[in-house]
Amino acid sequence: MAESAGLENHRIKSFKNKGRDVETMRRHRNEVTIELRKNKRDEHLLKKRNVPQEESLEDSDVDGDFKSQNVTLEAILQNATSDNPTTQLSAVQAARKLLSSDRNPPIDDLIKSGILPILVKCLEADDNPSLQFEAAWALTNIASGTSAQTQAVVQSNAVPLFLRLLQSVHQNVCEQAVWALGNIIGDGPQCRDYVISLGVVKPLLSFINPSIPITFLRNVTWVIVNLCRNKDPPPPMETVQEILPALCVLIYHTDINILVDTVWALSYLTDGGNEQIQMVIDSGVVPYLVPLLSHQEVKVQTAALRAVGNIVTGTDEQTQVVLNCDVLSHFQNLLSHPKEKINKEAVWFLSNITAGNQQQVQAVIDAGLIPMIIHQLAKGDFGTQKEAAWAISNLTISGRKDQVSQVEYLVQQNVIQPFCNLLAVKDSQVVQVVLDGLKNILIMAGEEASTIAEIIEECGGLEKIEALQQHENEEIYKLAFEIIDQYFSADDIDEDQSLIPEATQGGTYNFEPSSNIQTKEFNF
Amino acid sequence: MFVSDLRKEFYDVIVTQRVLLLVSPDVDALCACKILQALFQCDHVQYTLIPVSGWQELESIFLEHQEQFRYFVLINCGANIDLLETLQPPEETVFFICDTHRPIDVVNVYNDTQIKLLIKQDDDLEIPAYDDIFRDDEDEDEDDDSGNESEGSEPSGKRRRFDEGAVERRIERRRQRREWEARRREILFDYEQYEYHGTSSAMMMFELAWIMSKDSNDMLWWAILGLTDQWVQDRVTQMKYVTDVGTLQRHVSRHNHRNEDEENSLSIDCMRIAFEYDVRLSLYQHWSLYESICNSCYTSSSLKLWSVQGQKKLQEFLADMGLPLKQVKQKFNSMDISLKENLREMIEESANKFGMKDIRVQTFSVQFGFKNKFLASDIVFAVIALLENAERDENGTDNFIKALDSLSRSNLDKLHHGLELSKMLLRAIQQTVASCICTNLILSQGPFLYCYLMEGTPDVKMFSKPVSLSLLCKYLLKSFVSSTKNKRCKLLPLILAAPLDVEKGTVIMVGIPPEVEGSDKKNFFGRAFEKAAESTSSRTLHNQFDMSIVNLKTEDRSKFLDALISLLS
Repeated sequence: MAESAGLENHRIKSFKNKGRDVETMRRHRNEVTIELRKNKRDEHLLKKRNVPQEESLEDSDVDGDFKSQNVTLEAILQNATSDNPTTQLSAVQAARKLLSSDRNPPIDDLIKSGILPILVKCLEADDNPSLQFEAAWALTNIASGTSAQTQAVVQSNAVPLFLRLLQSVHQNVCEQAVWALGNIIGDGPQCRDYVISLGVVKPLLSFINPSIPITFLRNVTWVIVNLCRNKDPPPPMETVQEILPALCVLIYHTDINILVDTVWALSYLTDGGNEQIQMVIDSGVVPYLVPLLSHQEVKVQTAALRAVGNIVTGTDEQTQVVLNCDVLSHFQNLLSHPKEKINKEAVWFLSNITAGNQQQVQAVIDAGLIPMIIHQLAKGDFGTQKEAAWAISNLTISGRKDQVSQVEYLVQQNVIQPFCNLLAVKDSQVVQVVLDGLKNILIMAGEEASTIAEIIEECGGLEKIEALQQHENEEIYKLAFEIIDQYFSADDIDEDQSLIPEATQGGTYNFEPSSNIQTKEFNF
Repeated sequence: MFVSDLRKEFYDVIVTQRVLLLVSPDVDALCACKILQALFQCDHVQYTLIPVSGWQELESIFLEHQEQFRYFVLINCGANIDLLETLQPPEETVFFICDTHRPIDVVNVYNDTQIKLLIKQDDDLEIPAYDDIFRDDEDEDEDDDSGNESEGSEPSGKRRRFDEGAVERRIERRRQRREWEARRREILFDYEQYEYHGTSSAMMMFELAWIMSKDSNDMLWWAILGLTDQWVQDRVTQMKYVTDVGTLQRHVSRHNHRNEDEENSLSIDCMRIAFEYDVRLSLYQHWSLYESICNSCYTSSSLKLWSVQGQKKLQEFLADMGLPLKQVKQKFNSMDISLKENLREMIEESANKFGMKDIRVQTFSVQFGFKNKFLASDIVFAVIALLENAERDENGTDNFIKALDSLSRSNLDKLHHGLELSKMLLRAIQQTVASCICTNLILSQGPFLYCYLMEGTPDVKMFSKPVSLSLLCKYLLKSFVSSTKNKRCKLLPLILAAPLDVEKGTVIMVGIPPEVEGSDKKNFFGRAFEKAAESTSSRTLHNQFDMSIVNLKTEDRSKFLDALISLLS
């Protein structure tokens, strides 16, 4: 039993790693969004391009009240080191104001002016909490900029002082220190682990108590999100263990911002490999996480869907934990959600269930989700169609005999036509997934293969598969060839043999020039 | 941006370059093209000329040639849409646009480097101020971000803390931005609502030649034809026409004063242009007077020639002039010299009695050598007929080249061929008008009149071409207005549809403004067609440079019209 489970695991692993691993998929998802944004931006640029700019310039620098104050950096710098507490405070405050007005804060100018050590020094002024607060605010905003700007704050040795301020009796100072640390932790894994190594976690979590003001708690939750974020490398195991109980508490919170951040934190933790997934499962949070899939706020749904979606990229057992929470009952709604992004993630989730064991596949069928997946396959936007192709293909792939009826069911639901339609897309990964799926369906159909072949031919699939024999991608070429060879050319095997290109040593194929010409000169 | 110095900013720039000339198939554009070609010939400018019949063609031709050319000159196309958006040209591409279509797209107006408009700024342009329609889009990004957040994007890694004032200012700025955007929409709506035409492109090109002291009598004649085309097609107001005639008249006297008093001023190769007060009778010098009266829009609609009564009136009119029928019906050239002497005055006098008070018109004539004399409008009709010749199934390029050739005085045979074709066109128009009115094909749809030419109507193929269809539409409306007793209907615009391609099941549709005294000739159908197509998702194609002409699927016609009715009611 244990052995067979191990085998099963191995199968899933090898198969989820074989180009089907979720990380690559999600990475691609991100690329797509970035690409879209870029296009949008380019469009913008194009429109604006060469249109006279003078007017707009004048418009952009009017902002903020610093102009009216007419303060110069030199004056600020000079006064910020003044012995007169009032002068010093108002100088630091002026710097803070420069940084907290809404547009184009002069962060680099301030860093260049050498103000950082002065501000950091101010953090030590325990007898002047107002000064500490203003300085912490200014540093927070400097650290909110680019990575180089954040690094400048870290390099000026501010982190230990901020950690010290977490003990301050003045709540506004504490809160500002939390915020500043959040920005530093948010810069990336190195900064994150540096701040963790200096001991941020315990004092941070100690703020979570019933008496803390809601705005403060929001900031604390956000910093926790940053602690969980980034996976190269992931946060230290001990830190995750420390944080999880806090997340289990925060997930009950009624404040939407806190709830959303909490769920995102969980989604980051579940994105860090099976061990971290196991830690999240062991924390007992899953039964509370799953119902959020039907939360009234789209923000919460999105984050929850990402988190549970990450969990089911794990082992069958880990997947089963989620399924045991009746997760599939939420998917009727998610698949018909008006937001395409949610449809896409929902199908992505299901594609990982259909990659599971037979019972898990059956659960998807029993929940009545197959027709909806096929609907997305046919009508969804391209990203969703792609996920649906994976979902279908995964279902066919294990090739176990007892899955035959499941594949039959798939065919009954008219999957073939929309599935074949995707053979015409440019994305070669999708084409390969579909070909894989078609081939498996044909294999599993056994005696009925000719019926399936007929359906494929009737819906125009054959034509597309034939065309794919010219595809530049070798895998695709091979698959297309195999399918044609085995299922569509039974009568004239002899003739076909002559058309098979010879494989040369490098695994590439040589085409007889004459066989190419044949297709080209067809039109007279 | 507008080019203020045609020579420095346009001609001097391209004179040393290879240029691609893209010309719309209309008479004004052809004339502008002739002038430019003549200048190019003087200066040995290398150019390629390609006719473009619509937006699709413009796009494909640009794609094909964008790598070989840096400078593109567009004549009577391109001004009224965002060219950069449509063509996505490389950064170094420059478009010089000489186009009468209005309103000019605002991006074309304000783009500094790639779009150069060869358009008179003193035309009544009413372009919105830059600040009212363009704005730094930094805020937009902010809005985008917040928009994403509500949809559920991941929490941000870093956050800046704003002071209270900043938050308030941001809210205030967003509010202002929304207001600004609402105002922008309003301004652009007002600006883009009506389609109309500005100064003739041929006149603009003539001005260029004149500035460079390279203008000739030929060029002047082409400029006159460009303006006359606008008049024939009813594209400009009476006021604008008269003003521009005045401008050209000065050039005419400058170029044609020599030998004025001498008896033998004519020679075999001379070209004389003269300003004329002539009558609104199309082609009469190349036809018979009778045919001309019957097939000219002005006389035919005023006398209501489609009715028995109208025919009777025509006889009375001829009798009043004292012209024998036999003389009137034979070729004008062969008419008694004595009758011809005071013909114009006689026509005018009788026309006045028959309610045709506006029969006199300011125009120009040209005389080549001893024999050939033409009125500007005659040539315009001839060139239109050549451009839209549907006789044989030739492609547009052949027609375009023949039409272009007919404008050279060395190709009088082509011109004469065009004159014959134009007579056929005018007859076809007249017969179609008569049958539409006699069979009550013009229906009032509430906010506009509507007429559909059924497949199988005689000559219907001729009217699948935009200019012929527009001419028919104009004549039809004039005639309808003079025939109907319904006062409300007299004030309505007209939409005319004709089959475009029977196999593909498409129709071509044109809309024209109401026929009222002192009309500003502004046409709202372009936008209305767009909106109606959008709201009914009708399968339409706005391919013509004139937005008030649209192609659509025959079966979508009724829902499209329903949408138009509710839109304009």
